[in-house]
Amino acid sequence: MSDLVVDVLTGAVRGGTAIMFAALGETLAERAGVVNLGTEGSMLVGALAGYAVAAETGTPWAGLAAGLVAGGLLALVHAVMVVWRRADQFATGLTVMFLGLGLTSLFGAAYVGRAAPGFDPVAVPLLSDLPVLGEVLFHHDPVTYLSFAAAPLMWWWLRGTRGGLLLRTAGERADVLHVHGYRPGLIRGAAVVAGGALAGVGGAQLATAYAHAWFEGMTAGRGFIAVALVIFAVWRPLWVMAGSYLFGAALALAPALQARGLSLNQFALDALPFLITLAILAILGRRTLRAAPEELRRVFT
Amino acid sequence: MTTQLTPDRVASPLLAPKSGFGPALARWVGALAGAIAIFSILLLTKGADPIATLVDMVVSTTTGASIEQIVIKAAPLVLAAMAVVLPARAGLANVGGEGQVIIGAVAGAGVGLVVSGPAALPLMLIGGALGGALWAGLAVALRVTVGVNEAVTTLLLNYVALDVMLYLIYEPWKDANGSGQPATPPLAIEQRLPLVGGTAVHMGIVLALVAAAAVWLTLRHTSFGFRLSVVGGNPEAARRAGLPVARLLVTAMLLGGALAGLAGVIHLAGIEFKLRPGLTTNIGYIAFLAAWLARHNPLPAVAAAFMLAAITVGGDSLQLDSGLPAATVNVLMALILLAVLGWTAKRSTS
Repeated sequence: MSDLVVDVLTGAVRGGTAIMFAALGETLAERAGVVNLGTEGSMLVGALAGYAVAAETGTPWAGLAAGLVAGGLLALVHAVMVVWRRADQFATGLTVMFLGLGLTSLFGAAYVGRAAPGFDPVAVPLLSDLPVLGEVLFHHDPVTYLSFAAAPLMWWWLRGTRGGLLLRTAGERADVLHVHGYRPGLIRGAAVVAGGALAGVGGAQLATAYAHAWFEGMTAGRGFIAVALVIFAVWRPLWVMAGSYLFGAALALAPALQARGLSLNQFALDALPFLITLAILAILGRRTLRAAPEELRRVFT
Repeated sequence: MTTQLTPDRVASPLLAPKSGFGPALARWVGALAGAIAIFSILLLTKGADPIATLVDMVVSTTTGASIEQIVIKAAPLVLAAMAVVLPARAGLANVGGEGQVIIGAVAGAGVGLVVSGPAALPLMLIGGALGGALWAGLAVALRVTVGVNEAVTTLLLNYVALDVMLYLIYEPWKDANGSGQPATPPLAIEQRLPLVGGTAVHMGIVLALVAAAAVWLTLRHTSFGFRLSVVGGNPEAARRAGLPVARLLVTAMLLGGALAGLAGVIHLAGIEFKLRPGLTTNIGYIAFLAAWLARHNPLPAVAAAFMLAAITVGGDSLQLDSGLPAATVNVLMALILLAVLGWTAKRSTS
């Protein structure tokens, strides 16, 4: 039994990392007042760029950088549309998602079934020998170790730096920025692009460290889960981290139980992350909306 | 920086903007040319000849057979677009068309499994509409009871719907005699939609156009339609005026879900005849974008649905002639949408 718990927790960290990067990216965008449903698309292009560049150059780190750039570039489309052209955020996000879907199927066909060097698990010296914790936290790929730092860093950056303050103000009271001579549109756009870049990193992690493969539509709704997760984590990076691992656990439960001979319905388990999200949103209810950044509340009501 | 979910007749890109026909036309031509130029560059990088490819695409949509294909593809798109238009009038964003279409098809197929004879088809249509309404009802129930945004819940429910369908296809409803890809047993002949005289087009398009006309009439000429637009325009004012806001929201969403459910059944009973993985080919999402292109006005939404159906059919020729993946057409569709949405409407002043 304890064996099962360790398996699920380890899987939670393994499977939750990609979603965490995407959800942290979405947190940046939403704290600045923009919902980006194109996160799903940014993850996809990040996954393909990451896998393709890793395959071509032979180094997964180059792939990770490519995923970052690709995710950011796709998010730039969303930023230009909603910040500069003032288009509808939901519809633009979905369109951007389609753009990502189309671009990755156009350029990705050559990489389906092709091998590429990926990130392999590296045991952290000493820490990996800890009972339970060592197994759960310190037998992962290097990108996962980066992700451990990402959420606390973002928490600190949003809370304690000037840049973070400007970003939060763009999401709460944009007119205040105007008064002080800043351009809220520029800050919002930058937040969306940075968010897309993080989603691209998540996608690259998914392809090069989690799945070790590229296939069409491989993100399978993870980007949308990330958007929902940010809402029930009430726009706080550390809660986003916790929520991501909850999803990872839901993803890991199926194989862990099946490995023990329990036959569970595959499709019920696939639906589980989505059902859990819906349940949590329902339980939190209006509380989440009250915590929403002011500019975002206009989008959501 | 507000999201425009309420109808805005003046700003609709499919209605000629009021600020002069010439500049509007120039914006349209410029936007479409830009989208096609970017698509051509992408085709070049894949080593395809863009001019030949685009000419092929256009030519392939003008043959008799592809016009029939466009009409067949447009039928569920029109219905699913209405499923976005109607709730949008009340300020609701129904991004769950995909899931409602799937559940509609599932409910229709379920009825088809147990009922045979002449009563089957009408009951399947009713079952599909109810299924779609149920699926949309889940999201709107969360909205009016605990205040969860419907755009997020409908989106998540799409994936749950897909898993429900896959479960049924792979396990209880699987066709034991089928080979290859798992699917449900095909519908009997009398359970299929009849064809429109002498063509390959099924009656679904008639149903869709009637439904679109009904939505247009309802929104424009009934007090229910007027109440919806009051709720969509200013819910607080509607509440103070004594309108039953929650009930109106629920009704709008249930009707929308029913329309999307119908889209699923006619897709099933008109052309697919059995549930299979990949049944819906993004009908719900494309319809959402069609409705948005038309700024949530019913009649322009019909035109937009036909346009997007034509692009999809053109994409099939892309696959056959140039060997590019069919999903490539998503790039062209997205580019055209972005161009039209960003550069043909007047910029809002907010």
